[in-house]
Amino acid sequence: MVYKAQFVPGESIVSKNRKKYMDPEYKFKKLRSLSDEDLVLVLGHRAPGEDFKSVHPPLDEMGEPDCIIRELVEPTEGAKAGDRIRYVQFTDSVYFAPITPYQRAWAYLHRYRGIDTGTLSGRQIIEARERDVEKYAKELIESETFDPARTGIRGRTVHGHAVRLDENGLMFDAMQRYIFDADSGEVKYVKNMGGEPIDRPVSVGKPLPDEELEKMTTMFRADGVSITKDPEVLEVVNAVHWGRTFGGYKSVNREGQ
Amino acid sequence: MVDSRKLYIDSMKKKFQEKPEDKKTQFYNYGTWKQSKSKSKFVESSKKISAERGIPGYNPDVGLAQGQRLLMPYQLSHTDYIVDMDDIHFMNNAAMQQLWDDIRRTVIVGMDMAHNILEKRLGKEVTPETINHYMELINHTMPGGAVIQEHMCEVNPELATDCYVKIFTGDDELADQLDNRFLIDINKEFPEDQAQQIKENIGKSTYQVVRVPTLVGRVCDGGTISRWSGMQIGMTMMGAYNMAAGEAATADFSYAAKHASVINMGSFMPARRARANNEPGGIPFGVMADCVQSSRLYPDDPGRHTLEAIAAGAVVYDQIYLGSYMSGGVGFTQYASATYTDNILEDFIYYGIDYIKDKYGDFCAAPTTKDEIEKISTDIGVYCLETYEKYPTVMESHFGGSQRAACISAASGCATAMATGSAQAGSNAWYHSMILHKEEMGRLGFYGYDLQDMCGSSNTFSFRSDEGLPFEMRGPNYPNYAMNVGHMSAYTGIATAPHAARGDAWTLSPIIKVAFADKHLNFDFGHVTDCYGKGCMKEFMPAGERDAIIP
Repeated sequence: MVYKAQFVPGESIVSKNRKKYMDPEYKFKKLRSLSDEDLVLVLGHRAPGEDFKSVHPPLDEMGEPDCIIRELVEPTEGAKAGDRIRYVQFTDSVYFAPITPYQRAWAYLHRYRGIDTGTLSGRQIIEARERDVEKYAKELIESETFDPARTGIRGRTVHGHAVRLDENGLMFDAMQRYIFDADSGEVKYVKNMGGEPIDRPVSVGKPLPDEELEKMTTMFRADGVSITKDPEVLEVVNAVHWGRTFGGYKSVNREGQ
Repeated sequence: MVDSRKLYIDSMKKKFQEKPEDKKTQFYNYGTWKQSKSKSKFVESSKKISAERGIPGYNPDVGLAQGQRLLMPYQLSHTDYIVDMDDIHFMNNAAMQQLWDDIRRTVIVGMDMAHNILEKRLGKEVTPETINHYMELINHTMPGGAVIQEHMCEVNPELATDCYVKIFTGDDELADQLDNRFLIDINKEFPEDQAQQIKENIGKSTYQVVRVPTLVGRVCDGGTISRWSGMQIGMTMMGAYNMAAGEAATADFSYAAKHASVINMGSFMPARRARANNEPGGIPFGVMADCVQSSRLYPDDPGRHTLEAIAAGAVVYDQIYLGSYMSGGVGFTQYASATYTDNILEDFIYYGIDYIKDKYGDFCAAPTTKDEIEKISTDIGVYCLETYEKYPTVMESHFGGSQRAACISAASGCATAMATGSAQAGSNAWYHSMILHKEEMGRLGFYGYDLQDMCGSSNTFSFRSDEGLPFEMRGPNYPNYAMNVGHMSAYTGIATAPHAARGDAWTLSPIIKVAFADKHLNFDFGHVTDCYGKGCMKEFMPAGERDAIIP
């Protein structure tokens, strides 16, 4: 019997969406296109057309020592070139953003190489060599994990994930990095990820309808699918909790007491 | 007893002037920082200060523009105070400062050892009269008066109006003969059943409660407090009982006054977080719980006592200790305020109380088993999570996931502690709640939640040294507990809750509980959030002012 990864517990639509994102065999649906220049403008790490900055010579030129780990691990393109480390960071609204911070971390770790990822309630960062970051960021922004209204690309001043939405359904951003263009119905970035104004607005497309977001969601909610409706999830919560409790220091002798 | 009553809905209406259920609002049109009275005043003051000294200072126009959304006011829980956010930063709140000052400047020193030395070693008589004489002398020396030395530089009493020494005992016969001006009368201050519990545990022992001047703590540190106290007690003993300064028994008095009979509020901390005694990092949760006095003033309302202990813990542990001793800056106040404002945690706690009554009939009636802990934690946790989801203004009030995680887990932990009568079970439920929360929302708090809140359950049921402790005896110095704001306030609640539910007169120490049953303290430990409110309104008169020595 071949083991089939379940990734996360549960049978609800929320759990199914979680499994999908975490399964590296599943290819994210592409919902929009962003040019390379637009991506570079939004990230704000380098100017469009500017070379990647490097922190060491290309690996091929470095004359690395014999090392079994080096032989085993294929460097990413960014590592091969000696790129500096840069990041992309997303804020996901509690109001049915397609993905949540922990789902991002778990999905990233199943999909991407050469990354360091950090998870908080209101932001989720992925750090890697610069050209690798650009590759991952492009895939993520163009994919179903991103909604122009409920997902923010924010380097700092990230608050907004738990704040109510504005009249157009956009998540609050104290730096007003993006605006809603009523004429086109699109969300346009007028500042880069770090909050600096950019030369021209960059469209990230139209917000998805609420009903669509509710189908795509990876979060349990009282006004969506309640966690209580997915008993396997609660069962695993208890199993994890008791495993940690009973597996640690204990003054009890009998399980269950 | 207060029932679960969703008071937060009223708080939300006052805060936002919008429907608490609405998901949408408007931003960027509130006039930035100018919408805030306090920030506007800060700007005005800063302009004057900058002009006078020639160095620029506070100027919100050079930082991130505050007030892109509504700068929310906060309602202090179970009070009518609605206050500006800036007023709950401890720097702007004299009551919060005094809360900490009053704990730090307190030392309790047992008198039995000194009396034994006098009677058994020196053959002197100790009577209520000699004790009263001693009390009169110590109330002269403690503020900075000389008693056996001549030509001494003494302290201006106007700088030490808050300094005094009181006495208490579990011996009613002795208490009756002590000078009322110095006595904390257990029978008067506590309900009858609590007084009985306390007296049985204190027995015939006698303790003096020392309040060192606030200024001493501010100029020096918590370690100085017990040294100041010890020195004055030693001198006073010699004066009161006419002893020779050089006789060998004096060393015994000194040892008793400085070490053997001393109860500090906080213990000494190890080098990596080095602080002296009586600093916040060394205060066990049970001590914080016993400083708070709601248990004797509102004995039928364990929810209130739990919440008041949490409110005290939030300011001392989160805002002052982690926020300033260990970190610095302004972020911690916003975070910590979640546990004592807007009646949100208030509702969660009273919901838990109703749940316990409904499910088990009474407090402490639930079995302390894995299944029961998980059941209570899940039911309470889901209620809290769904409150945030049903009321977007509540979600926005606690706009940081750490705030929500603290309140939800506090509710699960306190309810479990009250249901089972066990703080250990409550702490175990705290960790269960964290896992549930993370799984439900797909997010939790900041990075720290991935450490202590994911591994903490492994030591919840251990008492052995280096592996655990009874929860009431744990404190900020316990491994992993000093890392994250919003935790230790709630832990104080979890330590408090089972004792409040059982009707215990105290959580960890009857001696500390009695020491703070003292109407002469500047801070009102029976009405914590109310006192904060007075501080916000600039209606609280603190101690430690220097008017007597400044132009």
